[in-house]
Amino acid sequence: MFTRKRSLWLFLLPGLAGLMFFYVLPFIGGIWYSLTDGSYKNSFVGMRNYLNIWNNTMFRLGLKNTMELSAICAPLIWLLAFLTASLLMRIRPQGVFFRSGILLPYLMPSSAMLLIWLVIFDYGGVINRLVVLLGFEKVKWLEGSALRTPIILLFVWKNLGFATVIFLSALQEVPEPLYEYARLEGAGFLKQTFGITLPLIIPSAFLVMILEWINAFKIFKEVYFIGGAYPDESVYTLQNYMNNMFSKLNYQNVTTAAYSFAVIVFALFGILYFTQRRLLKRLG
Amino acid sequence: MAWKIIRRSKKRHLITRTLLALVLIPVLIPLAVTFLYSFFSPAEIKAFLDSRGSYAGTAFMEVLLFPKTASISQYYTILIKDMSVLRMFANSAFYTVAILAGQAVVIPAMAYALSRFRFRGREAVFFLILMLMLLPFQVTMVPNVLTLRSVGLLNTVWAVIMPMWFVPFYIFLVRQFMIGLPDELFEAGQIDGCGPVRCYMHIAVPVCRPVIGAAVALSFADNWNLVEQPMTYLGQRIDLQPLSVMFNQLVKTPTGIEFAGAALYILPALFIYLYFQEDILSGVQLTELK
Repeated sequence: MFTRKRSLWLFLLPGLAGLMFFYVLPFIGGIWYSLTDGSYKNSFVGMRNYLNIWNNTMFRLGLKNTMELSAICAPLIWLLAFLTASLLMRIRPQGVFFRSGILLPYLMPSSAMLLIWLVIFDYGGVINRLVVLLGFEKVKWLEGSALRTPIILLFVWKNLGFATVIFLSALQEVPEPLYEYARLEGAGFLKQTFGITLPLIIPSAFLVMILEWINAFKIFKEVYFIGGAYPDESVYTLQNYMNNMFSKLNYQNVTTAAYSFAVIVFALFGILYFTQRRLLKRLG
Repeated sequence: MAWKIIRRSKKRHLITRTLLALVLIPVLIPLAVTFLYSFFSPAEIKAFLDSRGSYAGTAFMEVLLFPKTASISQYYTILIKDMSVLRMFANSAFYTVAILAGQAVVIPAMAYALSRFRFRGREAVFFLILMLMLLPFQVTMVPNVLTLRSVGLLNTVWAVIMPMWFVPFYIFLVRQFMIGLPDELFEAGQIDGCGPVRCYMHIAVPVCRPVIGAAVALSFADNWNLVEQPMTYLGQRIDLQPLSVMFNQLVKTPTGIEFAGAALYILPALFIYLYFQEDILSGVQLTELK
């Protein structure tokens, strides 16, 4: 550790200045916008924008959808990633091919995958062939409330690998003799998972959940690719709302919506973080 | 007894491998098919794409597996005949390189300051970075647009590039790796007469190669897939848009060359991945928030 070195500023200052200029100051400055009326005189209106926006149906629709989509995506990725990582651990040190294959989509531009997605999920596409093969009716995946499925799957497709990698590095830290002992005692996969694995990787498990939830809160690209700027109301996210208000130059609504959302985000992650702390204390 | 255990473990691996294959196949098929379709003739692809959106009860699109005639004319069109897609591709490449270059200066240095120096307010800065990580792009969008406009950068490439130099997540990623490095490493450097700057150049950066490689790869993926930033900061400049923003315009009126466009767009990402994959696997040591 270096203490009282002047060169600290050399390392810290460029980054800190940039963060201030492009993130912190806009964040603080934006609060002012959410409290004024955006007219020529730009007079102070207190909480009126917030009252308006919370009564706005499109805002509430966007918020609801963002919440619902993230509440589906994050736990889904968490679970799939945990299972995949556990499977990968069983065939370690082999399985390099599987490991790299699963991480591959994280690096792929989802914009370039749009076309194949539209083909696969077309009314006459491969997914519907499978659906019919299994004896169900064809589904209109690309319109109405079913639109969520291709969007969620594109999101999961892209983000599964990274979550799996974080789980893998955590699982490798769990001492192998614990499992050997558990196996001698006759514990199966589920018992091992809940008795040994999960309690030992709580920090990583929370981290994956938090990172994926952050990502899922930001879900917009996938919606924009598949549904456009004004998608069906089942997938109209808060980001759609903010972007549309932005293109209408209604900056007050954008910032007010943004801060309402930021407060919710901070509150949620605060709760997650403290749950983790308490859980760790109780176990350790 | 021994052979029984061996057989059991083999059998278990068979099931494990089958399950993993069930995850992997749907993950890889869309990529494989994109490359496959890029070698079909544009006419065949156009006919195929035009058969989309039919609501006839039992009609399906064909399952194309083999081209009538394998052809590279999709690639020929994009690379030689009509360069409009290529120009957007070049825009993407420019943004990606410019962002990575700036990040190379800012991010490891910031991570170094936050992990190897002790100073007042260090925890506060780290906490700030964590908080900024949580915020979606739109929260700081409006004030950013207004600032960028007042300094004359709005609707220029710098509006997209400069904010990306400071993406909090990569600072977090690299810092988490650096803080796990043993103190002895740096003490040894100091005994040999290295100050913080030389410790950074000769110890921290080389030792952090995996996480820096991982950060480069992950950041590449982000920059190659930019959507929100160019849409808001370059609103009136279609000529500056990267290909990632324009894909869904291209798809609306297909001319049969879109799969080659997608394949070409995937290719650099694929190379980056193959080059950096070991770094990602060993560099991403995010085990907890501390």
